[in-house]
Amino acid sequence: MADLPNRLERPLSVAAAIAALSGKTNKVVPVAGATWIMRAGSRGEKIDGTFVDLSAIPDLSDIDVAKDKVSIGAMATQDVIAKGLAGHADMAALMMATGYTANPAIRRAATIGGNICTADFAASDIVPALLALDAEVEIVSPDGTSLMSMAEFLSTRRSLGRAVLVTRIVIPRRLQASTHSRITLRKAGDYPVANLSAAITVAEDRTIRTAAVAVGGVEPVAKRWTGFENALIGRNLESGEFREIAGNYTDEFEGRDDTGAPGWYRVRLLPALADRAFRFLTKSTA
Amino acid sequence: MTTSLMINGEERSLTCDPRTPLVDVLRNELRLTGTRNVCREGYCGACSVHVDGKPMSSCLLPVGTLEGRDIVTIEGISQGDKLDVIQQAFIDLDVIQCGMCFPGMVMTLRPFLRDNPSPSRDAVKFALVGNVCRCTGYERIIDAVMSVVDATEVTE
Ligand SMILES: Cc1cc2nc3c(=O)[nH]c(=O)nc-3n(C[C@H](O)[C@H](O)[C@H](O)COP(=O)(O)OP(=O)(O)OC[C@H]3O[C@@H](n4cnc5c(N)ncnc54)[C@H](O)[C@@H]3O)c2cc1C
Ligand code: FES
Ligand code: FES
Repeated sequence: MADLPNRLERPLSVAAAIAALSGKTNKVVPVAGATWIMRAGSRGEKIDGTFVDLSAIPDLSDIDVAKDKVSIGAMATQDVIAKGLAGHADMAALMMATGYTANPAIRRAATIGGNICTADFAASDIVPALLALDAEVEIVSPDGTSLMSMAEFLSTRRSLGRAVLVTRIVIPRRLQASTHSRITLRKAGDYPVANLSAAITVAEDRTIRTAAVAVGGVEPVAKRWTGFENALIGRNLESGEFREIAGNYTDEFEGRDDTGAPGWYRVRLLPALADRAFRFLTKSTA
Repeated sequence: MTTSLMINGEERSLTCDPRTPLVDVLRNELRLTGTRNVCREGYCGACSVHVDGKPMSSCLLPVGTLEGRDIVTIEGISQGDKLDVIQQAFIDLDVIQCGMCFPGMVMTLRPFLRDNPSPSRDAVKFALVGNVCRCTGYERIIDAVMSVVDATEVTE
């Protein structure tokens, strides 16, 4: 077969990657684990443009678990993250969202950066986990490096421009417990119909001091469930009324319809997901 | 652009479009047709190969990203005529039906048994969650795996 130049570049630094992405007139695509990009055909799209393969850039795949924060390179794969976070109760939501989703071969390939940069992927498990954990996203562009909240990243990611890379995710550490629950139609390898991540801090008398709850899969983009969060403050964890409380706030969501499930069904799952998550948290904080 | 990589212990230089999925290069250019091309979505595991010793779905790997990597396919794991112990167990216990899923199952199981020489039945099932079989119902596959669990030949 004839040699086809410029179909793939392998920069060795973030600066070289930004240059490769900005210096072209044709389509250029940053490539991380390629597990979304290579499924273009199944979405009725074509694999085209020049691939800028990020896998040869050092320091983008590491995970650093420090006392005050966890810092994860954008190229860290799901399996590396799940192993790196094992045993840290505050990070359990992200450990579960990376370690118990997709399948083992995909977890070895798919990266955290690729996951959150896929704006068309409504059912991400990682995005709600990062929302609940108050993560920040480090972005590098020709103008320099900046840090933005996950919510800001989600609302601007489609318009960030072609020469922008996510390089790192930074998550503050708190004396909190977290979890991630999801409901799939079948089992292994399925995307969730709906998912929910929660992180709470608890007072000595078992009342909830702070609560962050994020929901994915239901709407096109994951978001925090603020009415439910507010209603949780001051509740005793042992009261076990989480399904009922959650049921009062499902009108914050407008479910999306697709071939996988109708929107109303996704919304209807939320109290059950909340119940599952808070039963787990009740046990894990006991 | 040329991509240089090892395939089954042989150095190869590939000049195809570097965005081509590895499974297509293996099957269409190198005629290594043991690697199956089924869902092309990372879902079924039939296209599994080892990349630096780890099972990966070759339908989702652009070949140009594999520069310098060590690839082993199902053709590369037997020793001449002597089949790998898992392949042999599948034959001995008459597990295989259409055969679509088996190369991928073997490629997943081999490193799994290397790293977990005495797994429980449930652990084997969990290891195979990314390998779909439409024919057998899985239980006989697990029986065959459990029959070789203590075999010492599973090395890499
Ligand atoms: C069978 C299967 C099941 C799955 N199940 C789940 C699941 O249940 N839950 C879940 O959360 N995920 C799941 N995934 C993974 C998910 O669907 C995506 O495929 C994956 O997260 C994409 O990551 P990647 O590293 O492969 O990205 P790529 O495919 O390499 O890239 C995806 C997009 O992000 C861009 N991009 C990548 N990295 C960067 C960067 N650093 N900066 C800027 N842009 C970038 C690319 O240009 C592209 O547009 C599953 C995948 C498969 C194949
Ligand atoms: S063909 Fe690759 S996972 Fe199915
Ligand atoms: S034997 Fe036919 S798919 Fe497994």
